[in-house]
Amino acid sequence: MFNRSRRNLACWFTLSMGSILVLFAVTTYYLRAEDKLEATDRLLYRKTRLMAASVEYELSEGKPQVDLERVPVLGSGTLPLGTELAYVRWYSSRAQLKRFFGEPPSQPLEISSGFRTVRSSDRSSEPLSDNTARNNAEKVWLRQLTLPVQEGNELIGYLQVATPLSDIRADLRQFQLALTLTMLVTLVLIGLTGWYLGGVAMQPIKQTYNQLQRFTADASHELRSPLSASLTNAQVALMLAAECPQIQPSLQNIIDSTQSMNVLVNNLLMLARYKGGLTPDLLKPVNLNLLVSESAASYQAQFDAQKIRFIICIPEQSIEVQADSDLLKQAVDNLLSNACKYTEEGETVWLRLGAYANWATVQVVDMGMGISKKDLIHIFDRFYRTDTGRVRGGDGFGLGLSIVEQVVEAHGGRVWATSVEHKGSTFQIELPIRSRLQS
Amino acid sequence: MKVLLVEDDRRQLMPLQTVLCQAGHTVDGVSDGETAQWLLSERDYDLLILDWMLPHVSGVQLCEHYRASGKTAPVLMITAKDTTLDKVTGLDAGADDYIVKPIDIVEFMARVRALGRRSPICQGDSLSLHNLYLHLDMLTVERQGKVSPLSSREFQLLEYFMRHPQQVLTRDQIEQAVWEWGSEIESNAITVLVRKLRKRLQVVGAAAWVETIYGMGYRLSPPDKTDI
Repeated sequence: MFNRSRRNLACWFTLSMGSILVLFAVTTYYLRAEDKLEATDRLLYRKTRLMAASVEYELSEGKPQVDLERVPVLGSGTLPLGTELAYVRWYSSRAQLKRFFGEPPSQPLEISSGFRTVRSSDRSSEPLSDNTARNNAEKVWLRQLTLPVQEGNELIGYLQVATPLSDIRADLRQFQLALTLTMLVTLVLIGLTGWYLGGVAMQPIKQTYNQLQRFTADASHELRSPLSASLTNAQVALMLAAECPQIQPSLQNIIDSTQSMNVLVNNLLMLARYKGGLTPDLLKPVNLNLLVSESAASYQAQFDAQKIRFIICIPEQSIEVQADSDLLKQAVDNLLSNACKYTEEGETVWLRLGAYANWATVQVVDMGMGISKKDLIHIFDRFYRTDTGRVRGGDGFGLGLSIVEQVVEAHGGRVWATSVEHKGSTFQIELPIRSRLQS
Repeated sequence: MKVLLVEDDRRQLMPLQTVLCQAGHTVDGVSDGETAQWLLSERDYDLLILDWMLPHVSGVQLCEHYRASGKTAPVLMITAKDTTLDKVTGLDAGADDYIVKPIDIVEFMARVRALGRRSPICQGDSLSLHNLYLHLDMLTVERQGKVSPLSSREFQLLEYFMRHPQQVLTRDQIEQAVWEWGSEIESNAITVLVRKLRKRLQVVGAAAWVETIYGMGYRLSPPDKTDI
């Protein structure tokens, strides 16, 4: 139970811290990408301006003439511009390609001056780079700048320059890898920290819980001695008071109350003792067929006395589970005792034993008064008693079903109940089968 | 029977002692382990009833000591502990039976009777010697169809005689067996008691069975078969 809470705590801690971390990493990545792109843009713009400045323009024979000879890269007497460029293109003012270097354009210029990120898919695209190791067939991301070149007020053409983004991409990929790795390591660390912190947080809860358990156990134990003294004294007094019939009912009442108190103490002790699983050395192979029929036999007389039809269905094949037989018998007895209490004369109660692949089931079905929806969710709570329960089962404490639940859970099984008011209820115990023998 | 009852809770000790006395047993009731240990070394008992949790010396320790000294009287353990492990510990220490608190007096007496039946001369709920029967549940003596009731002390004396037939029992032994530990008895109390018992036995025609051995004590010896 504590481990489950601890696991939950650790999981939630990891999840929340992890989400914050992921958010942080993604933001960092985008900021860095943006930053890199901006730097590239600045550089590209500077280069393009430089080229544009080298374009010579003159009017000869009334016609404007553009001389690109002096433009770096495009011109014949090229001046290297230092860094790599994917292509440089010159378009006339009517958007016709006049001269280019590098990859030829696949489509006519769309006059949209400014920065764009494009994807070149050309096989011959050989960027002006020393780094030729890159696979040519691979698509390459390019950053392209289209700059209108003007002389005075007249547009003389467009200069389009592109630079590959491969460096930035490589850089970002590396950054991404580093981020991912760091994040994974951090997540693991967070998980471990969460587990540890969960443990620390569970400590006081565990202590309080154990204290409560110990208190219940001790209190129940200590209650037994005075209880015993009351019972014995009252019984002896009853024996001695054979000649005084007027005090006998009072003494009998003391005896009855003490005995019912003893049942309560025993139930509390049981709840305190078997909380949270049984150690394997307490578990022995138990034949459920035998156990269930023994329980049934001990209640048969009570059902008969109340004129309730009691139908027992036990399969021939033997079903064996690992269990503490006394505890398990108590659980089955409690269910039968409840069925006895809440079923009217002439009605029917079924006790069924069944086996599935991994589960054995013990089912107690009655056609009694049923349990209202409001009560059904609480019936396994300690000391919970329905109003009808208070009226009918005068000697109960509302611990019977809690004990059933605890015993079954201590065996790694579960118990559930369904009920329709005035129609009847079904209680089912499910126990894991570890070894199943065919008889 | 001579019973040692050790129970530290006086409110529990008292009713048990009362009910055992009513049933005709001589009961030494003590409330701590040390006194019990001393008594065990001084006196003989037919049944020990020990509470597990006692101050100083626990019931289990008492039981182990008692068995180690080679004595065989049955031991009934009383305890608030009810797990299987506790029961095993108690029984392994040498106890013959085990009763969990709260003590239901009916069950308690049934267990005491059951342990009392272990005596070899016991037949059901009566002791017999030849044709003399001592009914343990009714505190009566019977012989040849004649019945005589006995007082509690007379019964205890006769029971003691019948459990030790043909043996000379000294006044000290009788005092220990019939009177509770610590009770002040008059110097002629035993003589008086034996006289009373003989009167009772006269009703069933067995007054002569109790012989006086001068200077030593008394002996219960059934007459030879020819006399019957």
